[in-house]
Amino acid sequence: MLSYLIRRLLLTPLIIFGVMVLTFVIFFAVHSPEAMARNVLGKRANPTNIYEWLHHRGYDKPVLFNLGQARVSADRHPYDSTGLFDTVFFHQMRDLATLHLGVSDVTGKDLNEVFKQGAIPSLLLTLPAYVCGFFMAVGLALFLVFVRNSALDGAGGLVCVALMSIPPMVYIIFGQAVVALGLDYFPAFGFQLSGLSTARFLILPVALMIVMHLGYDVRLYRAVFLEEIAQDYVRTAKAKGVSNARLLLVHVLKNGMIALITMVIAYLPLLILGSMLVENFFGIPGLGNLLVDALHTSDQAVVRSTTFLTAILYIIGLTITDICYAIVDPRIRLS
Amino acid sequence: MRFARALHCLPLMAVFGFASCGNDPNPKPLASAHADGSPWTVYYGSLSAEARSLDPQYAYDQISHHILEPIYDTLLQYAVMKTDPYEVEPCLLESMPEKVQEADGSVSYACRLKSGIFFHDDPCFPGGKGREVVARDVQYAFQRLSDPAEESPVFSDLAEYVRGMDEIFKEARQTGRFDYDHQTVSGVELIDAYSFKLHLLKPYPQILYWLAQQFTAPVAREAVTYYDGKAGRPLFKFHPVGDGPFKLDSWIPNQSFRFVRNPTYHTTVFPTGGWKPEYEAADRPLAGRTLPLVDEVDLTVFREILPIWLLTRQGYIDRYGVMKDAANSALTSTNELAPKYAARGMKLNKELEVSTFFMVFNMQDPLVGSNRKLRQALSCSYNPQGFIDLLYGGAAPIAQQMLPPGIFGYDKDFKNPYGFNLEKARRLIAEAGYPDGIDPKTNAPLELALDVVAAGGEERQLAEYDQRQLEQIGVKVRLIEDTFARQQEKEDQGNFQIIAGSGWGADYPDPENFFFLLYSKNFPPAGKNAARYANPEFDKTFEQMACIENSPERLELIRKLNDIEIEDCPILLNFNKGYYLISQPWAPLTHSNMLLEGGLKYASVDPVLRKQKQREWNPIAKWPAPAALLVVAGVVGCAIQLNRKRNA
Repeated sequence: MLSYLIRRLLLTPLIIFGVMVLTFVIFFAVHSPEAMARNVLGKRANPTNIYEWLHHRGYDKPVLFNLGQARVSADRHPYDSTGLFDTVFFHQMRDLATLHLGVSDVTGKDLNEVFKQGAIPSLLLTLPAYVCGFFMAVGLALFLVFVRNSALDGAGGLVCVALMSIPPMVYIIFGQAVVALGLDYFPAFGFQLSGLSTARFLILPVALMIVMHLGYDVRLYRAVFLEEIAQDYVRTAKAKGVSNARLLLVHVLKNGMIALITMVIAYLPLLILGSMLVENFFGIPGLGNLLVDALHTSDQAVVRSTTFLTAILYIIGLTITDICYAIVDPRIRLS
Repeated sequence: MRFARALHCLPLMAVFGFASCGNDPNPKPLASAHADGSPWTVYYGSLSAEARSLDPQYAYDQISHHILEPIYDTLLQYAVMKTDPYEVEPCLLESMPEKVQEADGSVSYACRLKSGIFFHDDPCFPGGKGREVVARDVQYAFQRLSDPAEESPVFSDLAEYVRGMDEIFKEARQTGRFDYDHQTVSGVELIDAYSFKLHLLKPYPQILYWLAQQFTAPVAREAVTYYDGKAGRPLFKFHPVGDGPFKLDSWIPNQSFRFVRNPTYHTTVFPTGGWKPEYEAADRPLAGRTLPLVDEVDLTVFREILPIWLLTRQGYIDRYGVMKDAANSALTSTNELAPKYAARGMKLNKELEVSTFFMVFNMQDPLVGSNRKLRQALSCSYNPQGFIDLLYGGAAPIAQQMLPPGIFGYDKDFKNPYGFNLEKARRLIAEAGYPDGIDPKTNAPLELALDVVAAGGEERQLAEYDQRQLEQIGVKVRLIEDTFARQQEKEDQGNFQIIAGSGWGADYPDPENFFFLLYSKNFPPAGKNAARYANPEFDKTFEQMACIENSPERLELIRKLNDIEIEDCPILLNFNKGYYLISQPWAPLTHSNMLLEGGLKYASVDPVLRKQKQREWNPIAKWPAPAALLVVAGVVGCAIQLNRKRNA
């Protein structure tokens, strides 16, 4: 296990470097630094302030390598760069390697601060949805297995397929229009981070997020449990006179969980990034729309930091999954 | 067992418990009543995005200006009731600046600040008490505009006219540092504590409009020095210290702004006359009242438009600009307020921004640039009405001339002779040498390239509308889809034939700010003459018109510019942006001045009526709780039954 972890740890920087190079190339292939400045400055863009904008953010340097190409800004100010590696790319990689996320290109806000501020609302939304959703899906799947091959099972399957088929936007619009506007139960929009009253704003979006994923999860988990129930040990237990309920809740659930945990745990670290759609429509100031917003406003600093964090979080998630595998299933050896 | 079952119902009960707390999303007001028992009034508004910076010398996006306006008073301000044409009046200044002809022939403006105006109380001042605003603070604002590190987007615009800005900008760029103690803007000459003289390099009457913008608003140097981003203090651009009617109480990033009344504010009062007939009922009782009219303003950031309409229907937002998404439910097919909402006492008003939208012909393009009749024919083939209906529910008027309504020189009786007229378009295209749009050389339809910014489905729909319109005369229009930045680049390089979706929103309400888009010395990238239109006659007239004050003589020059532009057709006029605004019965509109960024100090609210209506509009439904319990009980019952049967 230890050698596996060390190997993973050594590979991580390489993977992340690869991700960052790819992000960098794609971003700058679409947007030249000048185009970024134009996008940000809008109708106010002119050669002087485009140059100042680039200069103060270090984008006046060559992009990849400094091969001595002389560049001059439109208002005849020389771009400065010394040495082969005094370029946008190498400066950025060095900053990321030393975990300096820097400041947003558009607002100048400290990105550490931005991520910290946004992570809490995002987690408040996604964590309850993830945990409650998981338990609800497991419970309902068990229930459907419990009543398998009955009319109730059929109806349950039908509802699940219906839930899977409805696009997420429809849930949101329905939730806002019926629950918030029609029944007047919860705020249709908004957020306040103040103790218990925060829950008032979160119940509706969390419930909608659960429902959005419920159909798919229940069908999947039900299949896992059904597979389990066909195993020999279940037949043995049944022959020994174990009741239906005990059989499901103790034997099948325990063994089925191995498969389930490995399915869901990889996404755990990514919860911190929130949900774009739900956050946007409910005004939850999380990290969900950060990347999309950054792409819209040409904020390369934010794009860079967000992909960097996502890559790290995803690798953490996969590592945890592997470790979980080894823990819950002794047959697997990671080394 | 029974207890355990009751436990299962707990989450459900908790959910319904929270539900009964109501659906008001707004934060609790800072106070419920004043010391004298009168109600505490709050205005609830919306923003479409987050502010980028609250530094008055730097912020250039509309949202940031919306936040800055209530915090920083400007030297002059737009007279709230005067919109035809728009005018400025003193705000921080005692009176309008007095134009002085200096001995050396140059022009300057003598200005005097009102005395007894104080910055907001803030820890950056000794003892936390705001100090008086003095002329030195105006000099400091101009220094900041000239500091390369501040990246002021209007530096070039002002440095062209205000003496000394360019020199110290260049010095600072050389040395890499701006010395605020020694590098002063010589164009801002301090006379005494309150008086200063603004020296111009050349005549520029429009400078007065710049004094009505946040860019030139006085700033306390203490505040900029204190808020340096160190030791837990935010940066100045995130912590404004102004002198305006409101103080920023809190800013939760990506979520909301809260302003609270500046208790000592006395710089301006509500106008005592000049109200428009449609607002008179709301305005008359407010005449002469000290501003601002509400105690608190809460602005929420909405990234989607639909939720704003939802909250408006619940009475939790005081005003709503009708956008395409919600137009179907808010308006009838004839673009009136839906009866359901009219019955609630909501009001529908048309708002007209000071802007003109158009397509740009590249005058250096060998085809469209050299063939005036072709441009005229295309102009005649285009019907802006469909575009307006698609985008603004018909609220925007067709642009008949380059100047939008509200600008001196706008002629409301003028009809563009090359406006939509298919018959004339067909005749002109034949005269242009392409009968029925056919190029006689190739015997195929003449092919034109139309550059559009197409980022989403809606923009593509609009682009296709443009294409269909121009193709009505038989030519073939090829759409080229660009990103915004790419299109700007193409404009800079002159590498296009026709560009769609261009437009100009007034920096200030002067004809110069529109006609300069066609002045030959403003070619891109430095200027905004994307059409690369160069006409000596136009240039000469423009130069005469630009530097004189409004007068019959100026009006004549404007008419001439308009005639030249219309006949030459370097741009294809589309529309002036306008939209519908719905206001709540407790917060009637008091003005329609679109050069104010919200004009929050003029907003008035009746909190008693609002509370009553909110209660009326949000009755909490009682039936879903028992219904949900019943469904759960039914399903569980079925399962128990089934289990018994199977175990038996």
